[in-house]
Amino acid sequence: MKSLVTIREGSAGHWALRLFAAAIVVGVLIWVPTRAGNGTISSATEALTLMCAAMALNLVLGFTGQISLGHSAFYGIGAYATGICVSRWGWSPWWTFPVAFVVAFVVGVLVSLPASRIKGVYLALVTLSLALVFPNFLRWKKVAWLTGGGPGLPNKDSQVQTTGFDIGRKQGQMRRFEIFGWDPFGDLRSLEAKTAFYYWIAAVVAIVVYVVCRGVVKSRAGRALVAVRDNETAAAVMGVNLVATKAFVFGISAGLCALPGSVTAIRVGSVSPDIASLTIIGSLTFLILMVIGGAGSLWGPVIGSVLYVFVTDRTGSWADDDSVPALLRPFFGWSKIPPGAGIFSVLLIVLMFVAPLGLVGLWKRQSPRLVRVLPRPAGTGTVAAVGGADTLGALVPETNQHHEGETS
Amino acid sequence: MKHRGTKTAALLAAGMLLVAACGGDDESASTTAAPESSAVETSAAPDTSAAVETTAAPETSAAPETTAAPAAWAVNTDDCVDPEAANAPIEGTVKIGSAMPLSGGVAAAAFAPVKDGFDAYVKFANEKGLLPGYSIELTIEDDQYNAELTPGAVAKQIDAGVNLFSGIIGSPNNAAVRDVLNDECIPQLNALTGSPKWGEVADYPWTTGLLVPYTVESAVYAAQIAELFPDGATVSLFHVNNEFGQIYADAFTEIAGDYNLEILGTQTIEPTDSNPPTSQITTIAGEKPDVIMAVPLGAGCIGFLTELANAKAQNAGWDPKVFITNTCASSLILGAAGAAADGLYTSNNLLDINDPAIQAQPAVAEYIAYMDGLGKKDIITTAAAGWTAGEITVAILKQAAESPEGLTRASIINAARNFTIEPSLARPGVVDKMDGEADPFLAESLVVVQYDADTATFTDVGELITSFES
Repeated sequence: MKSLVTIREGSAGHWALRLFAAAIVVGVLIWVPTRAGNGTISSATEALTLMCAAMALNLVLGFTGQISLGHSAFYGIGAYATGICVSRWGWSPWWTFPVAFVVAFVVGVLVSLPASRIKGVYLALVTLSLALVFPNFLRWKKVAWLTGGGPGLPNKDSQVQTTGFDIGRKQGQMRRFEIFGWDPFGDLRSLEAKTAFYYWIAAVVAIVVYVVCRGVVKSRAGRALVAVRDNETAAAVMGVNLVATKAFVFGISAGLCALPGSVTAIRVGSVSPDIASLTIIGSLTFLILMVIGGAGSLWGPVIGSVLYVFVTDRTGSWADDDSVPALLRPFFGWSKIPPGAGIFSVLLIVLMFVAPLGLVGLWKRQSPRLVRVLPRPAGTGTVAAVGGADTLGALVPETNQHHEGETS
Repeated sequence: MKHRGTKTAALLAAGMLLVAACGGDDESASTTAAPESSAVETSAAPDTSAAVETTAAPETSAAPETTAAPAAWAVNTDDCVDPEAANAPIEGTVKIGSAMPLSGGVAAAAFAPVKDGFDAYVKFANEKGLLPGYSIELTIEDDQYNAELTPGAVAKQIDAGVNLFSGIIGSPNNAAVRDVLNDECIPQLNALTGSPKWGEVADYPWTTGLLVPYTVESAVYAAQIAELFPDGATVSLFHVNNEFGQIYADAFTEIAGDYNLEILGTQTIEPTDSNPPTSQITTIAGEKPDVIMAVPLGAGCIGFLTELANAKAQNAGWDPKVFITNTCASSLILGAAGAAADGLYTSNNLLDINDPAIQAQPAVAEYIAYMDGLGKKDIITTAAAGWTAGEITVAILKQAAESPEGLTRASIINAARNFTIEPSLARPGVVDKMDGEADPFLAESLVVVQYDADTATFTDVGELITSFES
């Protein structure tokens, strides 16, 4: 396959490409809360929240090959950790993030114990049971003193009538958010300030989750994960401790998945077992986002989440002929319900045929037609050793090119 | 390895037991002890023998008669984020926003007709010019009955310039946007839930509810049971285990003592559980109560009634009176339950649209003809709730437009809180009114009805209860 441009990994051209991509991401991250409307900011917040959960799932499933359908429970642990600490004990929502992480981490490690013995569909069933049991556990009357039972939190026994920041008109409620005297949002009661405030919380959490995932994947532990995914026996022979590796990845993944749960509790102001993301629907949603974006790729869950929220957002009011754009009316005008889920189902089926590795996989397959990034030759640690003086767009003979899996 | 796994399992089990032990035994508390006597929230037990108010139903059109109450209550816009916007005149087009479950499973199937009814009335009002000088635009976003999605749906509509929200379905969904709408001073009218939360005028002046508060409905049932069993009765509770069911259960339990009712036990079903509640009904059958007070949800109503019919067949001689929440009282749901629904008691404040005699009434005939014209005659019973929500919303807008301030967001909420209406599809004598903080709930009149499965119609039991309307 011929490429328009071929560059070496680590060369100036490669760095320029990376900086360009990073600038786009940072630009979008800043553009949304400063230029976009409240609806877009809210949708972006939702996408950020979902992508955190999908990224966490990606660690277990995409990189380690351990099927988990129980991540909605970890998400729920985060939501309830925040809900309980804030509404029952009056904690600041900020302090609930580490609590959510630690509790979910411990539960994740416990879930990994069966994972060390079973795999494939059997592991899927074990984790599925976790997703199914978790909402019913929350409703259980014996623990309703803590979880609020079926109605959830806050309830009449709560210290604060919210599970997030107590923002409002009443005396004693938070009206502004200051960082060492700096007031970035203004009057938090206004919709603009509030949506931007929640957006930034979700954005920071998403960045943290991404950085942690990237750190894990690029580290020695990450290589162990991929080794376990590709061939457990070979990995064990090479010295990978399977039990410890699985315990680590389940724990870290569960902990990270709890963080967007906390964001949801803060943003919605209440938690209950009826919240879709806490049920098996949540687990399936995270899975679909990850698969559509690209399992085993750091950017897959990000792309999948943005696409999912965009489609459901755009089609949310398409419940009758009048609201469907004229061009699309022949396809969706007959539908009495918004076709977002249907569109995604079709997309999923199509992608399984044309891009089984998701949209990122499709990009990786097609992008070498435009830009090909050559990896450093094995055994060379520095750019200079392989000709780091290459300038932007330095051409390399086609015959030496190899396929590069991860370009980010 | 095996030894370590056993240890972990033991630790986990011990932890679970510890958590369970720390909890109060809510079940036993609510099942064995009769509640302490306490006054009904509305202060007086309803007088079911009260004479029906003789106000005639509207004669010809679906346009309601409205009466402007003295403007004793007025919202304070000084607390608004943008007081000027709250008092700015609305011109040309009034944009109404809402969020409903249009997709997402059982809830969507149950509530989709409400959306159609609301939509139909807005079209009807525009065609008939019921809001002179204005056209009305309604957008309804899908929140899948998921409170996570409601803030985004509402924010999107605010961006689109919505002037007010009306008919948002679901208690958690309305609660999720209550703060932001009150801070922004955007009217949040006619929340389609009966939670008592919508009566907190001092803290949330911009939020009003439309359904009869669940606390009132519970009190009406308790009064009717007391009338059927003057010497007292035993009752088993069955409710869906979420906020909706819990409010009913708490309210009923609180007032049961006032009516000499002994609660034998409480059984629950999870809102997501689509299996029939066999074990719960078996337990209730073992208690042999005189009355079952049931608060299932959506398709759960059918499962409850079917399972109860089976239990009655297996327990010859046991034939309890069944009272069921009026959210189950649609012919779609009860029709699906068939003979199992025969004879149950529920309540309503709207006309029985299925009754041929009622269908001949001018307002009902006009409604049915209009829905027929839209190709939606098959959902007229459930859509009536949406139609009524639309009618009340437009009537509030009309009253606000005729006020000295003209149509503004502030005048809309002022009109809503000083408002009286006889909805065109309501039973004769139903006068819905709100009066500032003195009467924060719009609909508080009900009549207990009994279902006849053969004719799929309801028969009134006693008179219309209006004593909760202050």
